[in-house]
Amino acid sequence: MSASRAEKLEQLARLCRHGHEGPPARVEPSGSANLDAVLPGGGWQAGTVVELMPVSEGIGELQLLMPALAKITQGERHVAMIAPPYIPYAPALLRHGLRLEHFWIIRAQSATDILWSAEQTLRCKSFGAVLAWPQAIRDREVRRLQLAAEAGNSVGFVYRPPSAARESSPAAVRLRLQSDASGQLNIDVVKCRGARAGMTLAVSGWRSGVSQNSEADVAVAPLYQPLSANR
Amino acid sequence: MLWLCITLPQLPLEALQCEQSERPTVVTVLEGNVRSVVCCNPAAERVGLKPAMNFTTALAILPEVIAMERRLSAEQAALERLATWAYQFSGTVIVGELFLDLQRARSTAVWLEIGASLRLFGGFRKLIEQLEAELRKLSYSYQLGIAPTLEGSALLARTGVRVAITSVEALRARIGSVSVRWLNLDPWIPEQLQTVGVRTVGMLVALPRDGVAKRFGPEVCNYLDRLMGSAADPRPTYRLPPQYHARFEFEAEVHNTEALLFPLRRMLREFVGFLRARDTGVQKFTLRFIHRDAVATVLTIGLSMPDRNSERFLALARERLEHTALAAAPVALELSAEEFAMPTGMHIDMLSGATEQSEELGHTIDRLVARLGEAQVHGVKAVAEHRPENSWATADPQHARPHLDFPDRPLWLLPEPKPIQLSGMPVLTGAERIESGWWDGGDVRRDYFIARTQQGAALWIFKDLNDGSWHLHGFWS
Repeated sequence: MSASRAEKLEQLARLCRHGHEGPPARVEPSGSANLDAVLPGGGWQAGTVVELMPVSEGIGELQLLMPALAKITQGERHVAMIAPPYIPYAPALLRHGLRLEHFWIIRAQSATDILWSAEQTLRCKSFGAVLAWPQAIRDREVRRLQLAAEAGNSVGFVYRPPSAARESSPAAVRLRLQSDASGQLNIDVVKCRGARAGMTLAVSGWRSGVSQNSEADVAVAPLYQPLSANR
Repeated sequence: MLWLCITLPQLPLEALQCEQSERPTVVTVLEGNVRSVVCCNPAAERVGLKPAMNFTTALAILPEVIAMERRLSAEQAALERLATWAYQFSGTVIVGELFLDLQRARSTAVWLEIGASLRLFGGFRKLIEQLEAELRKLSYSYQLGIAPTLEGSALLARTGVRVAITSVEALRARIGSVSVRWLNLDPWIPEQLQTVGVRTVGMLVALPRDGVAKRFGPEVCNYLDRLMGSAADPRPTYRLPPQYHARFEFEAEVHNTEALLFPLRRMLREFVGFLRARDTGVQKFTLRFIHRDAVATVLTIGLSMPDRNSERFLALARERLEHTALAAAPVALELSAEEFAMPTGMHIDMLSGATEQSEELGHTIDRLVARLGEAQVHGVKAVAEHRPENSWATADPQHARPHLDFPDRPLWLLPEPKPIQLSGMPVLTGAERIESGWWDGGDVRRDYFIARTQQGAALWIFKDLNDGSWHLHGFWS
C-alpha cells in the first residue's frame, strides 16, 4: 500500500518536472538482490542522484557499482569518473568486465569544474553513469545534477565523506557504506525515495581477494594516512 | 543575370564594433583640416548627431560623444569576410570598392548573382528569407536591392526600395523618379545637377548625352549606361580562398574578454558561411589574438569530429578563452583554418540514433577538453607489464585495445607507492611475488599482500625485498 503510494508520488513528481510521463527511466540492477529490493525501481535508476558515503576507502565502495557499470559499458553507453581520488586501475576494471573504450576519466581540479563536468556528462545521453568526487556539494548543486541526470537518462553517483550522512540532501538515494572486520560490506540506507530509510543491508560475495580467506583477523589500523590528507 | 546587392550603410562603424552600444558613438574622418562624422550609432542619432556633420558641431551637441577614427583596413577585412560568407548563397560574388568621400562612405556594397541560385534554394522568397536570417545574425545593418544590373541593384539598395526588379525595362521605369543624389557619382555632380534643376534620374537620362558628357565628364554617361543595362559592366569576381583566413581589427585595445565575444561570434558565423559554401566542416581552427607589443596569443580549437556549427564553435572558444591569460589586450583577432573535412553526421541522410549519440558524445568531450585541457580528459588502458605501476596507461577511449588477462587487482592504485609502518600483525593474504624491470633500471622485487584494517578495508601492500620496507599501493575499493 505504502509502496504503491510512493510510486504514485514519484510518478507525480516526474509529471511535475517534465509535464509528461515520458519513457520509463532505465534501471540497472545493482547485482545484489538485497539492495535491489530497497532501491527505487529495483536497481540504480536513471535520472537519479545517489550519494555514497563510505567510512573509509578500500571497503568495496567502488565494487558495489561494478556490476552495473560493466553492464552499462557493455551496452555501448559510457561511464565517467570525475576527479577520482586515486587511479582507477585498468587491470582491475577489466576483470570487473568494464569495457574501457566506454570509460572516461575527467580530472577536473576546482570544485566548480568538478560539478560542471559532472553536469555536462550526466546531461549527455551517451553517458549511462557518472561517478563524481566533489570536494563539497550543496543542495542546489545536487538538484542541478539531478536535473542533468533526468535530461540525460543517466545515474549520478556522488561520493561524499561519511560526515555528510548527518546532513540532509535532496539526493534520491543516500547510502552510508561500512565494512566489518571480515570484509562484509554493510549499507546503511540513510535515505531512499519510496522506501523506508534507516535499515542496514549486508552485501557480500564479490569482494575478490578478500572474502574467500577466512584467517583470523588481526587489527592493523592505523595503517595509512587518512585519504583526505592525500588529495 | 540577376544581382542581389547588399549595401552596408553602417560599415565604417560596424567594422569596428559588433555590439550595439548604448553610448552615443560616431566614426569620424579628417578631410583636409576638417573632421567630419561618417556615421553614427542609433544612440548618437537619437541625440541629433547625423552623418556628414562637422565633428565640432557634434561635440557641441554632445561633448561626451565617443569618436572612433574611420579605418579602411578594418572595412576591407569585413567586406572580404562577408564576401566569403556570401558564397553559400551564390557562385558569383563581387566586392564593391570603399569610397573615401563622406557622401558615399555609407554605400559600400557586396553583390551576389542569384539568378542561378533561385532553384537551389527553392525560389526567390526562400532565398531572401534565408539570406536575411543569416545576415542579421552577423549584426550588420544592411539594405538589399535586386535588379538585372550591378549599379541598378545598388541604387535600389541605397534608396531602400524593397522591390525585386527582374527586367531592364522595369528597372528603367522604376528609377526614373529616383533623386539624382542617390547616384554613384562623384559627390559634386549630383549637387550641380540639383542646382540646375535636374532632380531625378529620369530628368538626367532625358538630357542630350553630348551635353551631359561635356559638362560632367564621359564617365557619367558610361555610368548611366551600366545602370540602365545598355552597356556591359564587367568586374572581377571575388574568389573563394582555398584556406580560411579572416581578420578583425579593433578600434582600440579590447580589455574585456566578454567584449571579445562579439567579434568572435560574428567571425565564427562568417566562417560557418564559408564552410557551407565549400560544403565542408572543420576539425581544427586557430584563433590568434594580436597584441601591440607582445607575441600573438594562439588558441587552437580542436574538435573530436568535423563540425560546422557556429554556436558550438563559440562555446568551445569561449571556454578556452576564459581559461587563457592573454599576454595583453588584443588589437586584432584572426581566425584561420587550413584543413577541412565533411561533418560526419552529414554523410548520412537519415540520422540513426547511434550517429546522433556519438555526435553528442563528441560535443560533450569537446566542451570538457576546451575547459579543462586535453590532458585532463582521457581513458585508461591495460598494458602487458609485470610492474603494477606500469601495467596501466592513459589512453584515448575511442581507440580499440586488446583485452589482457591479469591476476586479481585492486580498483584504486596509488599514483606512487606510499611507505607505511605496520603496527601490529596484519592479516596478510594472497601473497604474490613481482620481480621485474631489471633491464630498464626500474628494478622491482616485491611481495604483494592483501591486508585488512579493523574497519574492514582491504589494502594492497607490498614488502620491498631489496630493503624490507613496506608500502601501500592500492585499495580494494
